[in-house]
Amino acid sequence: MNAVIALAQKEWRINLDTPQGYVVSIAFLLASGFFFGSNLFLSGQADMRQWFAMLPLLYIFFIPAMSMRLLADELHDGTYELLATMPTRTIDIVLGKYVSLMGHITFLLMLTWLYPLTLSLLGNVDMGTVMASYLGAWLLAALFAAVCLYASALTSHAMIAYIVGLILLLVFFLLTQVSPTLPVFIQDWIVMFGPINHYQNMMRGVVNLADVMLFVSGVVIFLSLSWFALERRRWR
Amino acid sequence: MPMIKAEKLCRQYGNQFAVKDLSFEVKRGEVMGLLGPNGAGKSTTMKMLTCFLPPSSGDASIDGLSLAESIQVRRLVGYLPEHAPSYHDLDVESYLQFTGKMHGIPSATRKDKIKEMAGACGLEQVIFRRIEELSKGYRQRVGLAASMLHDPQCLILDEPTTGLDPNQIVEIRHLIRRLGEQKTVLLSSHILPEVQAVCDRMMIIDKGELQALGTSDELAKQAQGGSSLTAIIQGDVDKVLTKLKQTLAEVEVSQQDQVEDNQTQVELYHPDPNAPLAENLFHAAVSEGVVLLEMRNEKASLEDVFHQLTQGSEVQS
Repeated sequence: MNAVIALAQKEWRINLDTPQGYVVSIAFLLASGFFFGSNLFLSGQADMRQWFAMLPLLYIFFIPAMSMRLLADELHDGTYELLATMPTRTIDIVLGKYVSLMGHITFLLMLTWLYPLTLSLLGNVDMGTVMASYLGAWLLAALFAAVCLYASALTSHAMIAYIVGLILLLVFFLLTQVSPTLPVFIQDWIVMFGPINHYQNMMRGVVNLADVMLFVSGVVIFLSLSWFALERRRWR
Repeated sequence: MPMIKAEKLCRQYGNQFAVKDLSFEVKRGEVMGLLGPNGAGKSTTMKMLTCFLPPSSGDASIDGLSLAESIQVRRLVGYLPEHAPSYHDLDVESYLQFTGKMHGIPSATRKDKIKEMAGACGLEQVIFRRIEELSKGYRQRVGLAASMLHDPQCLILDEPTTGLDPNQIVEIRHLIRRLGEQKTVLLSSHILPEVQAVCDRMMIIDKGELQALGTSDELAKQAQGGSSLTAIIQGDVDKVLTKLKQTLAEVEVSQQDQVEDNQTQVELYHPDPNAPLAENLFHAAVSEGVVLLEMRNEKASLEDVFHQLTQGSEVQS
């Protein structure tokens, strides 16, 4: 457990000390602010549905950017060898990196609470729906973060980790987008397992255990895959 | 009980053996050098001993603990990988803090420990500088400090002096020598004088197999297989050599050169490593009334040993 916290602290430290963390954060906030503002004035309604609908698209570009160097750089710089010879288990390394990544994403999502607060000054906002949507957005981010961490464990080049992460997330996104044109039995599968579909459920303001469980199990699966990808390197 | 004991350690990459049937022991408090040409399996051996790579077969133990008990073994070992990797975005202090936390050093003693190690490795001047800004020598020292922070019994250093300038090499050598007084050190290198200067014993591996193990004198003797002597003689050489051959029948003259007028340099060889070559040459010269200007005992140098033991692979590759 100590190792998980130490690793997460180290990542935050690097994020705070170097420009990379700021650049990604500022770009994310600018893009999200733009979508919030433009939708608000177009629709003229005090709700955040449009913004939450946009959010997965932002994730697709920004979460791989936040996660790409987490494991790939360690593998590239040889520091992974240091980590792996410290008295820590491989799963602690994965968890430490994941906690740091989730910390970053959670921080950015918290900054966007400014939007519903602004809205509540302008009109009557259904805070229940907004809270459920935020929970959905956080869970979706948690799943995407685990997927991108896995992408970072696969390669020792941060750029490749970014592209792989982006492609994996795009697949999730596009499956939901194109599902109406697919055969019915595939549509059923997508409704059952598509993370975006479950996120849309939560955007309606309904928190369903099935939706939450899908995200949680997705996170467990991709963290295990990351662990496996790291362990496999030792046996090659 | 030896500190490090390897028994038939093997590591395969595909069909190729990186390390094959490697067995050796490193005694407690000893500085052991691991020598070999590039690609001989030095780094792979170290990676196995530090639990980074699992052995394909065979086992090793650190302080009696098998490598299978990986977490406990890692607590005993301090490891400096090749090229001394570290987090370039951190400053030295936070990097050492991180290492300390990862090793579970309680926060109460961590600061003192860092101060102590920074002192031992000469890092006080740069403790708040980013590692990125440091020279290669300082980065190497940061790596060393980090590897010793948890006070390990056993230090495994993979080429601790590559890429350093001669002054830095001397400093790091002193540091290792100093550490070697309290800890067991296994270090790899392909710089022979370095190993000779720092290590109590050394082993030479090639193509993943152990070729020789011992002190540098033992290895030199083993390679040479006899004794040899170089002498400069003023006067009649042939008379002396005839006289010498009467007392030591098996003496061979391996080389004979005229260095100046009336002065000859001869190289003598005797198959018995303990043969009294020098004494007999002296007596022969005295009895023949010839002057000996110089006599020196030519030991095979470590370079020769190394070359002899690892030549096969270079010829083949």
